[in-house]
Amino acid sequence: MSYRVMHYINQFFANIGGEEMAHVEPQLRQGVVGPGMAFAQAWKDEAQIVSTVVCGDSYFAEHEKEAKEAILAWVAEEKPDLFLAGPAFNAGRYGYACATICAAVQDMGIPVLTGMYEENPGADLRTKVLIAATANSAAGMRKAVPTMAKLALKLLRGEKLGASCEDGYLNNGVRVNFFDRERGAKRAVEMLKAKLAGQPFVTEYPMPSFDRVEPSPAIRDLSKATVALCTSGGIVPKGNPDHIESSSASRYGEYNIAGVDRLTSQTYETAHGGYDPVYANQDPNRVLPVDVLREMERTGVIGKLHDYYYATVGNGTAVASAKGFAAEYAQRLLSAGVDAVIMTST
Amino acid sequence: MKLELGYIPIADIQFAKVSKVEDGTLYVDQEALKAFLYQDDDVRQWVKDFTFDIAKPGESVRITPVKDVIEPRVKVEGPGGQFPGVIAKVDTVGSGKTHVLRGMAVVTAGKIVGFQEGIIDMTGPGAAYTPFSKLLNLVVVAEPAEGYQDNKHAYEHAVRMAGLRAATFLGELGRNVEPAEVQVFETLGIREGIARYPDLPRVAYVHMLQSQGLLHDTYVYGVDAKRTLTTILYPTETMDGAIISGNCVSACDKNTTYHHQNNPVVAELFAEHGKTLNYVCNIITNENVYLADKQRSSDWTAKLCRLLDLDGVIVSQEGFGNPDTDLIMNTKKIELQGVKTTIITDEYAGQNGRSQSLADADPLADAVVTGGNANEVIVLPKLDKVIGTLDFVDVIAGGHAGSLREDGSIEAEIQVITGATNEMGFNRLSAR
Amino acid sequence: MLLVALFFFCGGETVRSSLHDLVITNNPLVARCLPETYSVQLWEQLNYEQILIKVRDCVYAGHRLYTHPLAGSVKPNETPYRSVVISRTAEELSCDDAALIASAIETFGKFTPRHRELTEEMLRDFQLVDYSLLCAALEIDPLEGLHHKNETNYRTRRCSL
Repeated sequence: MSYRVMHYINQFFANIGGEEMAHVEPQLRQGVVGPGMAFAQAWKDEAQIVSTVVCGDSYFAEHEKEAKEAILAWVAEEKPDLFLAGPAFNAGRYGYACATICAAVQDMGIPVLTGMYEENPGADLRTKVLIAATANSAAGMRKAVPTMAKLALKLLRGEKLGASCEDGYLNNGVRVNFFDRERGAKRAVEMLKAKLAGQPFVTEYPMPSFDRVEPSPAIRDLSKATVALCTSGGIVPKGNPDHIESSSASRYGEYNIAGVDRLTSQTYETAHGGYDPVYANQDPNRVLPVDVLREMERTGVIGKLHDYYYATVGNGTAVASAKGFAAEYAQRLLSAGVDAVIMTST
Repeated sequence: MKLELGYIPIADIQFAKVSKVEDGTLYVDQEALKAFLYQDDDVRQWVKDFTFDIAKPGESVRITPVKDVIEPRVKVEGPGGQFPGVIAKVDTVGSGKTHVLRGMAVVTAGKIVGFQEGIIDMTGPGAAYTPFSKLLNLVVVAEPAEGYQDNKHAYEHAVRMAGLRAATFLGELGRNVEPAEVQVFETLGIREGIARYPDLPRVAYVHMLQSQGLLHDTYVYGVDAKRTLTTILYPTETMDGAIISGNCVSACDKNTTYHHQNNPVVAELFAEHGKTLNYVCNIITNENVYLADKQRSSDWTAKLCRLLDLDGVIVSQEGFGNPDTDLIMNTKKIELQGVKTTIITDEYAGQNGRSQSLADADPLADAVVTGGNANEVIVLPKLDKVIGTLDFVDVIAGGHAGSLREDGSIEAEIQVITGATNEMGFNRLSAR
Repeated sequence: MLLVALFFFCGGETVRSSLHDLVITNNPLVARCLPETYSVQLWEQLNYEQILIKVRDCVYAGHRLYTHPLAGSVKPNETPYRSVVISRTAEELSCDDAALIASAIETFGKFTPRHRELTEEMLRDFQLVDYSLLCAALEIDPLEGLHHKNETNYRTRRCSL
């Protein structure tokens, strides 16, 4: 018995044509097409490509939803043991398509593998989808195939992956041990020598990227700006309708304050469990200054106070969750045409 | 300062009536050794009995819980002796001639606290992770005297002394043996070094020492490292036992005395000395719990780097968690002095490898060597013989409830293995 | 004038004195053994993480952090005990301290919880190591306290939620 693999490639590698044919809709072909041949050879009898999806790069980019629907339906029909895409090298839209369709297929519970150059925009999905590292042009095919073929077999056999540098995939944020050629002290001396000589070196553990936010340019005319209020101080309508937790919040709330002149202790309160709530409950404007903003609205300091405010509880809330909340409601603020946000903490 | 190390290869260890080194075999008279250990008052008071055992590479033997590993050495020429300030008098060491019994070690094992770890497997998958599986080990198992439960500080001290004394006893047997190989290490004075190597970058080794309390300590010339200020050593001083280990919890990234004697950073820097760099000195700095101490020690490290006009340093860490703060403070401050750094650490990225590896971080730490992820899970099969006891395996770091399985195998994180993710870069283990 | 100068000198954060320290702990051995002059809050009902959170709240209230919240190599999911030294008086909030305690709590969260029975002996040893680390930080001899355990201190230092 040999494993059944489904392969995704673009119009170019299917020999349909270059940029001028990038609009072709996805099509399903039986068996091997183009680079699939090299994989089939590398796998010998252990795995075979049962069908190949061909899709134009522009078509995928411009009709992602339709393309995905069609391809996922074929995948559901075929039920392959592995879904393989590319390699895409440094072709941006191809790489994006490979990574995106792999992510979608992976959600169906099918192992996936693609390959591309590390700077391909599709490689942004490296923490989600397994991506083999390739050269930046198709000239690297000869090197890419054995790496990808080996990775594919590991996935098919359910074997544990080695470290990214051993097995040739892009670093996916999962740390894996391996025995290097030299001991650590020797590697350190070599690295220091390179650093001192101004030569390139590769750190074995890149420091986590630090989230420093560049301030946006100042607003030219505040009197015409729509300003929104947001808070991690837990101000919610009385009764906490969204049940935001008093610590380690897992959600945020969106609340309409159109026509509310000031928050009162009858209608608003704090859900925050990390500070003495007495003063916030007495006068919620102390945390979410609706009263002051309304005043500014009246006197023309600002154009308008946005009709909605967003609130969560910052008490022990994971940075990742907080970031996730903000990414979501920032989009809503943007589409509502909000120019500025005042974020209050406690 | 110049030190000549003469290596005497040891190919076998045997118990015998007379202790001696002959034709590559170390013969040990157990009674004489025991008597030597008991010459120490603290050992007499707190150790009821010693048993000795021999573990050879490839044998189906597990040694646990391991406290320390020590290489027997003896000073044959020049000032001082091994373990100055502790066994020998406090004279400055690191010059003259020292003989080394190569290929073997003294391993101290035995219960001190009820959650103790430290495993050396002489064969199987665990053996690949510890350098001590490749050595002939003379294991000293200590049995505590009555009342030790209420005097664990004293008992820990007694076992530490016993290990050092055993190494001293055995090292002495090599005094009159002709070494098979001699290696010379020399460090020049500051001005001499600049004159001799005007074009080579000036490099030092920043050696961080764990210094926090019971089972978390290091001693320099007999001084508890937590009571020291950041200072300078000749690299050869550490070869003569100037630094000894008093820590063994979370065994994977604790430096045993053997690591200090055979510091790999020192060895690799000496290998490049005079060729691609000018190895100036070692800077030792502690890892205290008190935050003001951390600030002072790291300030001083950076200050010395600047004062010595260094171009680059290698920084090695010891431990995880709060030492990450020391590591990052040192690195950041040294870099801000214009001195380039490469650091050696290890990782706690979780069993799935997905967590953030260090408890602290800074973008200036851009050249990192890692000893691997200590949380990686390993299954250690049952071995035929245990030296020490398996009593603690269920509680040791990295193990979890039921980690000692019915078939006698152990499922644990590699942090239980002595020296597995050593942060001096002793091993080839790494991670990506 | 001299008095003022003395005051500033003693108030320097690097000068260790029991008068400036407040120990937040869930380790009963600390309450029994630490000399009278130290101010100790023993929260036996709090676990390791809850002690860190209690310390965080103190830091937010302006207490300075004196010892690293992750002292020791015994991992947070192994030992149930944690002792942290902060300033006895609250002054201004230190952002560095707040960041440090926050990252310690985050690091704690990385360790998989372990549900294992700890014997009396293991608990005693975990207490001993935590106490020893604390003494090392405070630069006092741990043996002194171990040989003169004080039950009155233990009772008066206990706090309830």
